[in-house]
Amino acid sequence: MMWLSGGFIFRRGDSFYHRLDPRAKLLNSVLMFTTTLLARSIFEMVLVILFMVGLSAAATVLKRVARTMAFTALFSGFIFVVNVLFTRDLETSVLYAIRFIAIVVSTSIFFITTSPDELEQVMKMFRLPRDVVFAFVTAVRFIPVMMLDTIQIMDAQKSRGLELEKGNLIRRVRNMIPILIPLVVNSVMRSGELAEAMEARAYGAVPRPTSLLVYRATRADVGVVCAAVALFAIAAYSFYFVVPVRFP
Amino acid sequence: MADILRVEGLSFRYPDSPKSAVSDFELSIPEGEIVVLAGPSGCGKSTLLRAVNGLIPHMYGGEYSGDVLVAGSSVKSSNMRDLAQTVGFLFQNPENQIFMFSVERDVAFGLENLGVPREEMRARVDEALRLLRIGDLAQRAPHELSDGQKQRVALAGVLAMRPKLVILDEPTSLLDPKTASELVALVAKLRGELGTTFVVVEHRLDLLVEVADRLVVMDGGRKVLEGTPMDVLFDNEAEAHGVAIPAVAKVQRLLAEREAGKAAAAKLLTPSALALAVEGRLT
Ligand SMILES: Nc1ncnc2c1ncn2[C@@H]1O[C@H](COP(=O)(O)OP(=O)(O)O)[C@@H](O)[C@H]1O
Ligand SMILES: [Mg+2]
Repeated sequence: MMWLSGGFIFRRGDSFYHRLDPRAKLLNSVLMFTTTLLARSIFEMVLVILFMVGLSAAATVLKRVARTMAFTALFSGFIFVVNVLFTRDLETSVLYAIRFIAIVVSTSIFFITTSPDELEQVMKMFRLPRDVVFAFVTAVRFIPVMMLDTIQIMDAQKSRGLELEKGNLIRRVRNMIPILIPLVVNSVMRSGELAEAMEARAYGAVPRPTSLLVYRATRADVGVVCAAVALFAIAAYSFYFVVPVRFP
Repeated sequence: MADILRVEGLSFRYPDSPKSAVSDFELSIPEGEIVVLAGPSGCGKSTLLRAVNGLIPHMYGGEYSGDVLVAGSSVKSSNMRDLAQTVGFLFQNPENQIFMFSVERDVAFGLENLGVPREEMRARVDEALRLLRIGDLAQRAPHELSDGQKQRVALAGVLAMRPKLVILDEPTSLLDPKTASELVALVAKLRGELGTTFVVVEHRLDLLVEVADRLVVMDGGRKVLEGTPMDVLFDNEAEAHGVAIPAVAKVQRLLAEREAGKAAAAKLLTPSALALAVEGRLT
């Protein structure tokens, strides 16, 4: 869970990368992702990773990315060992291990720098139905509210003598029931109120709602995407036309 | 002035409910008034409000008779899209009417839904933020706001749609006394600046008698009292219907009764004015 929140949950930031057009951020991450899949030499892989580390530093999220990398390295180690055992090829095994880290980091950079507002914009860009996008928006919006609800209910039930940390597994699961029931009741009531408030604010009035936010590609967007395209081109070229580029 | 709201013999019963939540209700509100609706909980206040903004009958099934006219047209035959632009509804819990991840996006929510062009939307959002003095919160996420701030954000989202009639359902129930009286002052200010009509369900009458033109008391789904706030507060029946009479009004009334022949005061006295009046009686 900690890994998930550290590596994939957006926190507000004010760097040039945060301010990029969400479409550019998505494109950049997709490019980095595919480049790592195409890269067939450790040299290329290291290039991509350096690029991502550089971007993370510029986005002031290097610490979080580094932590994610360290955590992912545990799985990577496992991948490495399995590969060595089966392929007996050290370089390919190292490649696979690093690739795994690179894949996680490329997605992580997108999610930790893209606000829910921007994610919504991206979803709209893919022409997902309005209701689906809105369900996503409210889900994200109410995560902190539900978390607070849970804490309050737990405190209330504990003060009435509920002991959450006692007993065997079955007992502990049963102890969760007094927490879950009020939580579910709360959520059902909440969704009823939300539905009323949506109606009162003309939800669904026109088939194509407008948006307050507007994104325009800037020079920074173009620059970042060009750099990613260049890396991608190198990896694609060597993948299709030449023997993998090795360390000189 | 023309009536912005007319409720004509409205009765409504929720499905599976044995008795009507609102019965034979009559009410006319001229444009620009601030009307307070009071009554014990469960007496049908929220139900009446739902019938005004169209949630009843458009979202709730049930037994409906009579009619509700908003700005001259019947709610029954209007669609929610048009109603949403005439009637703004501030629900009791501000948390559950903030949808978006940033304040300004949420204020824009209704306008986005209506397909208002971006430039106009920007102007209306900024205006609403300015009216409620929350411009500095524009980029905040909902979970970074206090209850009072959430209430303002929700109200800004309602006002951005420029409704002629705004309904507030127990708007101060989650607010501390200071924030609550700020909200009431805001309502008075908005009525003054925009000419908006307000219907406010409220228990803290001491806050509202100052600014309200009229007080309507409901009990058991029926209208039981209606008049200027002071008339209703001085009415013998009011307390029996669960209206919390402010202490100042009680004393004022006792004073008026003892000074036979003196008409009941038209205004609620300030505590210091009341003290003077009591002093006058003592000497
Ligand atoms: N959604 C609903 N379905 C069925 N009955 C309801 C519903 N909402 C309210 N009621 C009932 O209608 C009556 C009036 O409720 P309400 O209008 O909420 O009163 P108030 O707002 O004055 O507290 C109550 O008896 C309540 O139980
Ligand atoms: Mg109510």
